[in-house]
Amino acid sequence: MESADEAADCKQRVHLRPGSLRDAAPATLHLLPCEVLVSRPAPVERFFTPAVRHGADGLQVSFRGRGLRGEEVAVPPGFSGFVMVTEEMGEGLIGKLNFSGDAEDKTEKMQEPLERDFDRFIGATGSFSHFTLWGLETVPGPDAKVHKALGWPSLAAAIHAQVPED
Amino acid sequence: MAAGRDGGDLAPRQLVFLLPEHLKDVSKKTKSGLLFVKLASPRSGEGAFYLFDMCLQQLFEVKVFEEKYHSWFINQSVQSGGLLHFATPMDPLFLLLHYLIKAGKEGKYQPLDQVVVDDMFPDCALLLKFPELEKALRHVTEEKEVNSKKYYKYSSEKTLKWLLKKVSQTVAALKANNVNVGARVQSSAYFSGDQVSKDKEEDYVHYAHGLISDYIPKELSDDLSKSLKLPDPPSSIPNPPSKKLKVSDEPVEAKEDYTKFNTKDLKTGKKNSKMTAAQKALAKVDKSGMKSIDAFFGAKNKKAGKI
Repeated sequence: MESADEAADCKQRVHLRPGSLRDAAPATLHLLPCEVLVSRPAPVERFFTPAVRHGADGLQVSFRGRGLRGEEVAVPPGFSGFVMVTEEMGEGLIGKLNFSGDAEDKTEKMQEPLERDFDRFIGATGSFSHFTLWGLETVPGPDAKVHKALGWPSLAAAIHAQVPED
Repeated sequence: MAAGRDGGDLAPRQLVFLLPEHLKDVSKKTKSGLLFVKLASPRSGEGAFYLFDMCLQQLFEVKVFEEKYHSWFINQSVQSGGLLHFATPMDPLFLLLHYLIKAGKEGKYQPLDQVVVDDMFPDCALLLKFPELEKALRHVTEEKEVNSKKYYKYSSEKTLKWLLKKVSQTVAALKANNVNVGARVQSSAYFSGDQVSKDKEEDYVHYAHGLISDYIPKELSDDLSKSLKLPDPPSSIPNPPSKKLKVSDEPVEAKEDYTKFNTKDLKTGKKNSKMTAAQKALAKVDKSGMKSIDAFFGAKNKKAGKI
Protein backbone atom coordinates (compact mmCIF):
# COMPACT_ATOMS: atom_id res chain seq x y z
CA MET A 1 0.00 0.00 0.00
CA GLU A 2 2.59 2.45 1.15
CA SER A 3 5.05 1.43 -1.52
CA ALA A 4 2.40 1.52 -4.22
CA ASP A 5 1.53 5.03 -3.16
CA GLU A 6 5.12 6.01 -3.21
CA ALA A 7 5.73 4.53 -6.63
CA ALA A 8 2.81 6.46 -8.06
CA ASP A 9 4.13 9.53 -6.35
CA CYS A 10 7.46 9.19 -8.11
CA LYS A 11 5.84 9.00 -11.51
CA GLN A 12 3.65 11.98 -10.89
CA ARG A 13 4.54 15.20 -12.59
CA VAL A 14 3.52 18.62 -11.38
CA HIS A 15 2.86 20.90 -14.31
CA LEU A 16 3.38 24.59 -13.90
CA ARG A 17 0.44 26.26 -15.61
CA PRO A 18 1.76 27.87 -18.75
CA GLY A 19 1.00 31.54 -18.79
CA SER A 20 0.26 31.77 -15.08
CA LEU A 21 3.73 33.19 -14.47
CA ARG A 22 3.12 35.98 -16.92
CA ASP A 23 -0.41 36.68 -15.79
CA ALA A 24 0.27 36.63 -12.06
CA ALA A 25 -0.86 39.86 -10.41
CA PRO A 26 1.63 41.73 -8.22
CA ALA A 27 1.51 40.48 -4.64
CA THR A 28 2.58 42.10 -1.39
CA LEU A 29 4.72 39.92 0.84
CA HIS A 30 6.00 40.32 4.38
CA LEU A 31 8.36 37.81 5.97
CA LEU A 32 7.59 37.88 9.68
CA PRO A 33 9.96 36.87 12.47
CA CYS A 34 7.43 34.67 14.20
CA GLU A 35 5.66 31.41 13.87
CA VAL A 36 2.04 31.43 12.83
CA LEU A 37 0.68 27.93 12.92
CA VAL A 38 -2.19 28.38 10.54
CA SER A 39 -2.39 29.28 6.88
CA ARG A 40 -5.54 31.13 6.02
CA PRO A 41 -6.97 34.44 4.90
CA ALA A 42 -6.07 37.29 7.22
CA PRO A 43 -7.06 40.97 7.21
CA VAL A 44 -3.48 42.15 6.66
CA GLU A 45 -4.55 45.31 4.93
CA ARG A 46 -6.90 46.25 7.71
CA PHE A 47 -4.69 45.76 10.73
CA PHE A 48 -1.07 45.33 9.73
CA THR A 49 -0.36 47.52 6.73
CA PRO A 50 -1.89 50.73 8.14
CA ALA A 51 0.22 50.39 11.29
CA VAL A 52 3.51 50.36 9.38
CA ARG A 53 5.46 53.56 10.01
CA HIS A 54 8.07 54.69 7.51
CA GLY A 55 10.72 56.32 9.65
CA ALA A 56 14.10 57.72 8.72
CA ASP A 57 15.70 54.54 9.98
CA GLY A 58 13.45 52.09 8.19
CA LEU A 59 10.09 50.53 8.76
CA GLN A 60 8.42 49.95 12.08
CA VAL A 61 5.29 48.17 13.10
CA SER A 62 3.79 46.59 16.14
CA PHE A 63 2.50 43.07 15.76
CA ARG A 64 0.94 41.10 18.59
CA GLY A 65 2.39 43.59 21.03
CA ARG A 66 5.95 43.22 19.78
CA GLY A 67 7.88 45.88 17.96
CA LEU A 68 9.10 44.87 14.51
CA ARG A 69 11.64 46.66 12.37
CA GLY A 70 11.63 46.09 8.67
CA GLU A 71 13.54 46.54 5.45
CA GLU A 72 12.72 46.09 1.80
CA VAL A 73 14.50 43.15 0.18
CA ALA A 74 14.81 42.72 -3.57
CA VAL A 75 14.82 39.28 -5.19
CA PRO A 76 18.20 38.35 -6.71
CA PRO A 77 18.99 39.81 -10.15
CA GLY A 78 17.68 37.66 -12.98
CA PHE A 79 15.01 36.16 -10.76
CA SER A 80 11.33 36.83 -10.21
CA GLY A 81 9.27 36.00 -7.19
CA PHE A 82 6.03 34.06 -7.45
CA VAL A 83 3.34 32.85 -5.13
CA MET A 84 2.24 29.43 -6.30
CA VAL A 85 -0.68 27.26 -5.39
CA THR A 86 -1.04 23.57 -6.08
CA GLU A 87 -4.41 22.66 -7.49
CA GLU A 88 -6.51 19.86 -6.13
CA MET A 89 -6.65 16.85 -8.40
CA GLY A 90 -10.17 17.63 -9.57
CA GLU A 91 -9.26 21.16 -10.57
CA GLY A 92 -6.49 19.82 -12.72
CA LEU A 93 -8.96 17.94 -14.86
CA ILE A 94 -11.12 21.00 -15.30
CA GLY A 95 -8.09 23.05 -16.09
CA LYS A 96 -7.14 20.63 -18.79
CA LEU A 97 -10.11 21.68 -20.83
CA ASN A 98 -8.36 24.95 -21.46
CA PHE A 99 -5.86 23.10 -23.52
CA SER A 100 -8.31 20.88 -25.35
CA GLY A 101 -7.27 22.40 -28.64
CA ASP A 102 -3.77 21.12 -28.21
CA ALA A 103 -4.90 17.85 -26.77
CA GLU A 104 -6.44 16.94 -30.10
CA ASP A 105 -3.03 16.98 -31.62
CA LYS A 106 -2.66 13.54 -33.16
CA THR A 107 1.10 13.48 -33.45
CA GLU A 108 1.41 14.12 -29.78
CA LYS A 109 -0.68 11.10 -28.95
CA MET A 110 1.81 8.83 -30.64
CA GLN A 111 4.36 9.35 -27.91
CA GLU A 112 3.59 9.33 -24.26
CA PRO A 113 2.09 12.75 -23.59
CA LEU A 114 3.84 15.04 -21.17
CA GLU A 115 0.58 15.54 -19.35
CA ARG A 116 -1.21 12.52 -17.92
CA ASP A 117 -4.48 12.15 -16.05
CA PHE A 118 -2.82 11.47 -12.75
CA ASP A 119 -0.53 14.48 -12.90
CA ARG A 120 -0.96 17.50 -10.70
CA PHE A 121 -0.93 21.17 -11.52
CA ILE A 122 0.54 24.23 -9.90
CA GLY A 123 -0.02 27.80 -10.92
CA ALA A 124 1.30 31.21 -9.99
CA THR A 125 -1.27 33.40 -8.28
CA GLY A 126 0.96 36.34 -7.55
CA SER A 127 4.31 37.82 -8.47
CA PHE A 128 6.79 40.03 -6.65
CA SER A 129 10.16 41.62 -7.14
CA HIS A 130 10.72 42.54 -3.51
CA PHE A 131 9.30 41.81 -0.10
CA THR A 132 9.46 43.29 3.37
CA LEU A 133 11.70 41.47 5.78
CA TRP A 134 10.86 42.03 9.44
CA GLY A 135 13.04 41.54 12.47
CA LEU A 136 12.04 41.42 16.09
CA GLU A 137 12.95 44.74 17.70
CA THR A 138 15.87 45.29 15.28
CA VAL A 139 16.27 45.69 11.54
CA PRO A 140 17.35 42.28 10.16
CA GLY A 141 20.31 43.85 8.37
CA PRO A 142 22.96 42.31 6.13
CA ASP A 143 23.68 39.44 8.52
CA ALA A 144 20.14 38.09 8.23
CA LYS A 145 20.07 34.51 7.00
CA VAL A 146 17.63 35.43 4.27
CA HIS A 147 20.25 37.65 2.69
CA LYS A 148 22.67 34.76 2.56
CA ALA A 149 20.00 32.56 1.05
CA LEU A 150 19.39 35.16 -1.63
CA GLY A 151 23.04 34.77 -2.60
CA TRP A 152 22.41 31.15 -3.47
CA PRO A 153 21.51 31.69 -7.16
CA SER A 154 24.86 33.25 -7.99
CA LEU A 155 26.71 30.48 -6.22
CA ALA A 156 24.54 27.80 -7.82
CA ALA A 157 25.30 29.36 -11.19
CA ALA A 158 29.01 28.73 -10.64
CA ILE A 159 28.52 25.18 -9.39
CA HIS A 160 26.37 24.27 -12.36
CA ALA A 161 28.10 26.21 -15.12
CA GLN A 162 29.61 24.01 -17.80
CA VAL A 163 33.31 23.48 -17.17
CA PRO A 164 35.78 24.43 -19.91
CA GLU A 165 37.05 21.68 -22.18
CA ASP A 166 40.69 20.66 -21.86
CA MET B 1 -2.83 10.98 4.28
CA ALA B 2 -6.05 12.46 5.57
CA ALA B 3 -4.02 15.10 7.30
CA GLY B 4 -2.56 16.08 3.98
CA ARG B 5 -5.94 16.76 2.56
CA ASP B 6 -7.19 19.11 5.20
CA GLY B 7 -4.04 21.16 4.75
CA GLY B 8 -6.06 23.48 2.61
CA ASP B 9 -8.95 23.78 5.05
CA LEU B 10 -9.41 27.49 4.68
CA ALA B 11 -7.01 28.57 2.02
CA PRO B 12 -4.83 26.74 -0.43
CA ARG B 13 -1.27 26.37 0.68
CA GLN B 14 0.83 29.03 -0.95
CA LEU B 15 4.42 28.49 -1.96
CA VAL B 16 6.79 31.41 -2.24
CA PHE B 17 9.09 30.74 -5.17
CA LEU B 18 12.01 32.47 -6.82
CA LEU B 19 12.36 31.47 -10.46
CA PRO B 20 14.68 32.64 -13.22
CA GLU B 21 12.97 35.55 -14.91
CA HIS B 22 13.06 34.04 -18.38
CA LEU B 23 10.71 31.23 -17.38
CA LYS B 24 7.95 33.79 -17.62
CA ASP B 25 8.44 33.76 -21.36
CA VAL B 26 7.79 30.06 -21.80
CA SER B 27 5.21 30.27 -24.50
CA LYS B 28 1.59 30.25 -23.51
CA LYS B 29 0.88 28.05 -26.46
CA THR B 30 3.00 25.28 -25.10
CA LYS B 31 0.86 22.71 -23.47
CA SER B 32 3.35 21.68 -20.85
CA GLY B 33 6.32 23.92 -20.86
CA LEU B 34 7.37 23.63 -17.26
CA LEU B 35 7.07 20.60 -15.09
CA PHE B 36 8.31 19.35 -11.78
CA VAL B 37 9.36 15.73 -11.85
CA LYS B 38 10.83 13.48 -9.24
CA LEU B 39 14.26 12.08 -10.00
CA ALA B 40 16.93 10.24 -8.08
CA SER B 41 19.02 12.68 -6.11
CA PRO B 42 22.63 12.28 -7.17
CA ARG B 43 23.76 12.42 -3.58
CA SER B 44 21.49 9.87 -1.96
CA GLY B 45 19.61 8.20 -4.79
CA GLU B 46 16.37 9.18 -3.12
CA GLY B 47 13.62 11.05 -4.88
CA ALA B 48 13.85 14.80 -5.23
CA PHE B 49 11.89 17.30 -7.26
CA TYR B 50 13.49 19.01 -10.22
CA LEU B 51 12.00 21.51 -12.63
CA PHE B 52 12.22 20.96 -16.38
CA ASP B 53 11.76 23.61 -19.00
CA MET B 54 10.67 21.48 -21.92
CA CYS B 55 10.86 24.36 -24.37
CA LEU B 56 14.40 25.49 -23.73
CA GLN B 57 15.46 22.07 -22.47
CA GLN B 58 16.81 23.29 -19.19
CA LEU B 59 16.99 21.67 -15.81
CA PHE B 60 16.49 23.45 -12.49
CA GLU B 61 17.22 22.34 -8.99
CA VAL B 62 14.59 23.12 -6.37
CA LYS B 63 15.84 24.16 -2.96
CA VAL B 64 14.07 25.52 0.07
CA PHE B 65 15.30 28.12 2.47
CA GLU B 66 13.77 27.72 5.86
CA GLU B 67 14.33 29.62 9.02
CA LYS B 68 12.66 28.71 12.25
CA TYR B 69 9.92 30.98 13.56
CA HIS B 70 9.05 32.68 10.32
CA SER B 71 5.81 33.15 8.45
CA TRP B 72 4.56 35.01 5.42
CA PHE B 73 1.88 37.57 4.95
CA ILE B 74 0.87 37.18 1.33
CA ASN B 75 -1.64 39.82 0.31
CA GLN B 76 -4.63 39.22 2.59
CA SER B 77 -3.52 35.89 3.97
CA VAL B 78 -1.05 34.37 6.35
CA GLN B 79 1.12 31.41 5.34
CA SER B 80 2.89 29.50 8.06
CA GLY B 81 6.41 28.19 7.68
CA GLY B 82 8.01 31.18 6.01
CA LEU B 83 9.62 28.95 3.39
CA LEU B 84 11.37 30.44 0.39
CA HIS B 85 11.75 28.13 -2.61
CA PHE B 86 14.48 28.53 -5.20
CA ALA B 87 14.63 27.03 -8.67
CA THR B 88 18.14 27.52 -10.02
CA PRO B 89 19.73 26.15 -13.20
CA MET B 90 21.38 22.79 -12.67
CA ASP B 91 23.97 20.83 -14.59
CA PRO B 92 22.11 17.68 -15.74
CA LEU B 93 25.38 15.80 -15.74
CA PHE B 94 25.14 15.44 -11.96
CA LEU B 95 21.88 13.56 -12.37
CA LEU B 96 23.19 11.42 -15.22
CA LEU B 97 26.26 10.56 -13.22
CA HIS B 98 24.09 8.58 -10.83
CA TYR B 99 23.17 6.21 -13.67
CA LEU B 100 26.56 6.21 -15.36
CA ILE B 101 28.29 5.17 -12.15
CA LYS B 102 25.78 2.40 -11.61
CA ALA B 103 26.20 1.10 -15.15
CA GLY B 104 29.94 1.62 -14.91
CA LYS B 105 30.16 -1.14 -12.35
CA GLU B 106 29.48 -3.58 -15.18
CA GLY B 107 32.59 -2.27 -16.84
CA LYS B 108 31.34 -2.28 -20.41
CA TYR B 109 30.37 0.27 -23.00
CA GLN B 110 26.62 0.79 -23.23
CA PRO B 111 24.25 3.00 -25.18
CA LEU B 112 22.89 5.82 -23.08
CA ASP B 113 19.25 4.80 -23.35
CA GLN B 114 20.14 1.52 -21.69
CA VAL B 115 22.01 3.24 -18.93
CA VAL B 116 19.52 5.92 -17.97
CA VAL B 117 16.65 3.63 -17.05
CA ASP B 118 14.84 3.69 -13.75
CA ASP B 119 11.70 1.86 -12.70
CA MET B 120 11.37 4.06 -9.65
CA PHE B 121 11.89 7.35 -11.46
CA PRO B 122 10.90 6.74 -15.09
CA ASP B 123 11.08 10.45 -15.83
CA CYS B 124 14.86 10.13 -15.85
CA ALA B 125 14.35 9.56 -19.57
CA LEU B 126 13.74 13.31 -19.83
CA LEU B 127 17.40 13.79 -19.03
CA LEU B 128 18.30 12.36 -22.42
CA LYS B 129 16.63 15.27 -24.16
CA PHE B 130 19.15 17.88 -23.18
CA PRO B 131 21.04 19.48 -26.01
CA GLU B 132 24.81 19.17 -25.90
CA LEU B 133 24.42 16.01 -23.89
CA GLU B 134 27.02 14.18 -25.93
CA LYS B 135 29.49 16.95 -25.43
CA ALA B 136 28.90 16.98 -21.70
CA LEU B 137 29.27 13.22 -21.43
CA ARG B 138 32.87 13.51 -22.56
CA HIS B 139 33.66 14.93 -19.14
CA VAL B 140 32.70 11.76 -17.33
CA THR B 141 32.79 8.86 -19.80
CA GLU B 142 34.88 7.07 -22.37
CA GLU B 143 32.95 6.69 -25.56
CA LYS B 144 33.00 4.37 -28.55
CA GLU B 145 31.14 4.66 -31.76
CA VAL B 146 30.00 1.53 -33.54
CA ASN B 147 27.84 1.76 -36.66
CA SER B 148 27.19 5.42 -35.85
CA LYS B 149 25.73 4.49 -32.48
CA LYS B 150 27.48 5.82 -29.40
CA TYR B 151 28.42 3.68 -26.44
CA TYR B 152 29.57 5.04 -23.12
CA LYS B 153 31.50 3.83 -20.13
CA TYR B 154 31.90 5.73 -16.87
CA SER B 155 35.41 7.00 -16.24
CA SER B 156 36.22 7.85 -12.64
CA GLU B 157 39.45 9.45 -13.76
CA LYS B 158 37.73 11.87 -16.13
CA THR B 159 34.98 12.51 -13.63
CA LEU B 160 37.47 13.57 -10.98
CA LYS B 161 39.10 15.94 -13.43
CA TRP B 162 35.68 17.37 -14.22
CA LEU B 163 34.88 17.76 -10.53
CA LEU B 164 38.18 19.51 -9.85
CA LYS B 165 37.19 22.08 -12.44
CA LYS B 166 33.82 22.40 -10.76
CA VAL B 167 35.55 23.03 -7.45
CA SER B 168 37.82 25.69 -8.88
CA GLN B 169 35.00 27.59 -10.55
CA THR B 170 33.03 27.38 -7.32
CA VAL B 171 36.00 28.72 -5.36
CA ALA B 172 36.15 31.63 -7.77
CA ALA B 173 32.45 32.36 -7.24
CA LEU B 174 32.81 32.17 -3.47
CA LYS B 175 35.55 34.75 -3.63
CA ALA B 176 33.69 36.93 -6.10
CA ASN B 177 30.59 36.88 -3.93
CA ASN B 178 32.55 37.58 -0.78
CA VAL B 179 31.14 34.52 0.89
CA ASN B 180 32.61 34.08 4.31
CA VAL B 181 33.92 30.55 4.32
CA GLY B 182 35.28 30.47 7.84
CA ALA B 183 33.93 31.31 11.26
CA ARG B 184 37.13 33.07 12.22
CA VAL B 185 36.98 35.10 9.10
CA GLN B 186 33.40 35.94 9.72
CA SER B 187 34.12 37.55 13.05
CA SER B 188 37.01 39.56 11.68
CA ALA B 189 35.00 40.53 8.65
CA TYR B 190 32.44 41.83 11.04
CA PHE B 191 34.77 44.61 12.01
CA SER B 192 36.36 45.24 8.68
CA GLY B 193 34.77 44.39 5.40
CA ASP B 194 37.91 43.66 3.43
CA GLN B 195 39.22 40.99 5.74
CA VAL B 196 37.46 38.47 3.56
CA SER B 197 40.32 38.49 1.08
CA LYS B 198 42.58 37.10 3.77
CA ASP B 199 40.55 33.96 3.91
CA LYS B 200 42.70 30.93 3.52
CA GLU B 201 42.65 29.23 0.17
CA GLU B 202 42.11 25.92 1.87
CA ASP B 203 38.96 27.19 3.54
CA TYR B 204 37.56 28.08 0.14
CA VAL B 205 38.43 24.67 -1.27
CA HIS B 206 36.85 22.99 1.75
CA TYR B 207 33.72 24.96 1.33
CA ALA B 208 33.53 24.38 -2.43
CA HIS B 209 34.11 20.68 -1.90
CA GLY B 210 31.20 20.65 0.52
CA LEU B 211 28.95 22.36 -1.99
CA ILE B 212 29.89 19.99 -4.84
CA SER B 213 29.55 16.99 -2.54
CA ASP B 214 25.84 17.64 -2.37
CA TYR B 215 25.60 16.51 -5.97
CA ILE B 216 27.75 13.39 -5.97
CA PRO B 217 27.76 10.08 -4.13
CA LYS B 218 29.76 9.76 -0.95
CA GLU B 219 32.55 7.65 -2.45
CA LEU B 220 33.13 10.17 -5.17
CA SER B 221 33.12 12.97 -2.63
CA ASP B 222 35.83 11.14 -0.69
CA ASP B 223 37.89 10.63 -3.84
CA LEU B 224 37.49 14.28 -4.69
CA SER B 225 38.63 15.22 -1.21
CA LYS B 226 41.79 13.17 -1.74
CA SER B 227 42.41 14.73 -5.13
CA LEU B 228 42.08 18.14 -3.58
CA LYS B 229 44.55 17.03 -0.89
CA LEU B 230 42.16 18.12 1.76
CA PRO B 231 43.26 16.81 5.13
CA ASP B 232 41.66 13.53 6.08
CA PRO B 233 39.07 14.02 8.73
CA PRO B 234 40.82 12.09 11.50
CA SER B 235 38.07 12.40 14.08
CA SER B 236 35.59 10.70 11.81
CA ILE B 237 37.52 7.46 11.94
CA PRO B 238 37.11 6.69 15.64
CA ASN B 239 33.39 7.20 15.27
CA PRO B 240 31.44 4.46 13.56
CA PRO B 241 31.29 6.15 10.18
CA SER B 242 28.58 4.04 8.61
CA LYS B 243 26.01 4.94 11.22
CA LYS B 244 26.90 8.59 11.24
CA LEU B 245 26.72 8.80 7.52
CA LYS B 246 23.35 7.13 7.31
CA VAL B 247 21.85 9.78 9.48
CA SER B 248 23.35 12.66 7.64
CA ASP B 249 23.00 11.20 4.20
CA GLU B 250 19.59 12.69 3.67
CA PRO B 251 19.07 14.45 0.40
CA VAL B 252 19.88 18.10 0.46
CA GLU B 253 17.42 18.75 -2.29
CA ALA B 254 14.34 20.71 -1.78
CA LYS B 255 12.08 17.90 -2.78
CA GLU B 256 11.23 16.71 0.67
CA ASP B 257 10.12 20.14 1.64
CA TYR B 258 8.43 20.62 -1.64
CA THR B 259 6.48 17.39 -1.48
CA LYS B 260 5.55 17.81 2.08
CA PHE B 261 4.53 21.31 1.56
CA ASN B 262 2.37 20.45 -1.35
CA THR B 263 0.85 17.14 -0.78
CA LYS B 264 1.45 16.03 2.74
CA ASP B 265 1.11 17.29 6.20
CA LEU B 266 4.02 19.42 7.26
CA LYS B 267 4.78 17.17 10.15
CA THR B 268 5.10 13.92 8.25
CA GLY B 269 8.68 14.62 7.30
CA LYS B 270 11.39 12.67 8.98
CA LYS B 271 14.20 14.64 7.59
CA ASN B 272 16.96 15.43 9.98
CA SER B 273 20.29 16.91 9.24
CA LYS B 274 20.82 18.90 6.13
CA MET B 275 24.55 18.49 6.37
CA THR B 276 26.03 15.99 4.03
CA ALA B 277 28.27 13.27 5.29
CA ALA B 278 31.33 14.98 3.96
CA GLN B 279 30.41 18.23 5.54
CA LYS B 280 29.78 16.52 8.83
CA ALA B 281 33.05 14.71 8.75
CA LEU B 282 34.93 17.82 7.81
CA ALA B 283 33.10 19.95 10.29
CA LYS B 284 34.65 17.93 13.02
CA VAL B 285 38.12 18.84 11.96
CA ASP B 286 37.71 22.46 11.29
CA LYS B 287 34.39 24.06 11.90
CA SER B 288 35.41 27.15 10.08
CA GLY B 289 35.00 25.94 6.55
CA MET B 290 31.98 23.76 6.68
CA LYS B 291 28.88 25.77 6.40
CA SER B 292 28.38 25.34 2.68
CA ILE B 293 24.77 25.12 1.64
CA ASP B 294 23.56 25.16 5.20
CA ALA B 295 24.85 28.66 5.46
CA PHE B 296 22.50 29.53 2.65
CA PHE B 297 19.56 27.56 3.82
CA GLY B 298 19.30 28.38 7.45
CA ALA B 299 20.00 26.56 10.64
CA LYS B 300 18.19 23.45 9.54
CA ASN B 301 20.89 21.04 10.59
CA LYS B 302 20.26 21.94 14.18
CA LYS B 303 16.94 20.26 14.54
CA ALA B 304 15.75 16.79 13.88
CA GLY B 305 12.26 17.56 12.74
CA LYS B 306 10.66 19.79 10.23
CA ILE B 307 8.53 22.71 11.05
